[in-house]
Amino acid sequence: MEKKVLIVDDSNTMRKIVARSLRQAGFEFEKVLEAPDGQAALDLLAGEAVDIVLSDINMPVMDGIEFLRQKNADAQIKGIPVVMITTEAGTDVLREAMELGAVGTIKKPFTAEQVQEVLGKFL
Amino acid sequence: MDLMNCISEATQEIFQSMLAFEVQPGAPLVERQKMFRDTVSGMVGMAGLYRGMLAIHVPNAIAKNITSTFLCIEVEDIDDDVKDAIGELANMLAGSVKSMLTDNGKDVKLAIPSAVCGREYEVECLADGDGVVVPFQLEGGEFLVECFLQK
Repeated sequence: MEKKVLIVDDSNTMRKIVARSLRQAGFEFEKVLEAPDGQAALDLLAGEAVDIVLSDINMPVMDGIEFLRQKNADAQIKGIPVVMITTEAGTDVLREAMELGAVGTIKKPFTAEQVQEVLGKFL
Repeated sequence: MDLMNCISEATQEIFQSMLAFEVQPGAPLVERQKMFRDTVSGMVGMAGLYRGMLAIHVPNAIAKNITSTFLCIEVEDIDDDVKDAIGELANMLAGSVKSMLTDNGKDVKLAIPSAVCGREYEVECLADGDGVVVPFQLEGGEFLVECFLQK
């Protein structure tokens, strides 16, 4: 069955790179949705069901940590898996993301192979 | 690991894995370059236990090539896509420096990346910070990565 993915990053460049890496890693999605921050992602999830979210942490308006908190508080979207794609790998803020339910991490910079390795567990 | 090695390794890794570009670090500049011409500069501020700035200064032609490779499109002008791409390079570099500076990146926060461009502009930095400016060679020219910090 075709799936839907939501990519959350304030950088348009990074959103495009992530989308390309997903294709290079062999994942095919019915729809690739994009949001520039956590609030925009929540707004989007209110109207569209997705199978997985790939989210940056350090973003304006609403960062990835607050996005996880708000998502967890909403029973409708609480169960959607979120993988963090961030420069913050190995840091306390990433540990906080995992405690808030993030299911995996991909460190920037990344390769399509690393994307495949992490997302292969969930897709 | 010292700042010079961290910047050198992180820059090579980012350019190799995200762009498939080979870049070679040169000897650090003796004196910081303030004035830039026909360049795009991506910058990330750092705050907390260390405060300062990491910046990457990329000549327009190389910045357009980087953006074109990132987005798989032809890039003719220095537009928001180019500034976003160079800002994201600064963001990835700052993340590497943050991880090096403190145990688990604790007590250092990164600002949202920003980018400037223009015919001629000046980039100021901490007057009393310690840091390094590293030139990198790649096909088509040279760019600079600098990081100045105060503890």
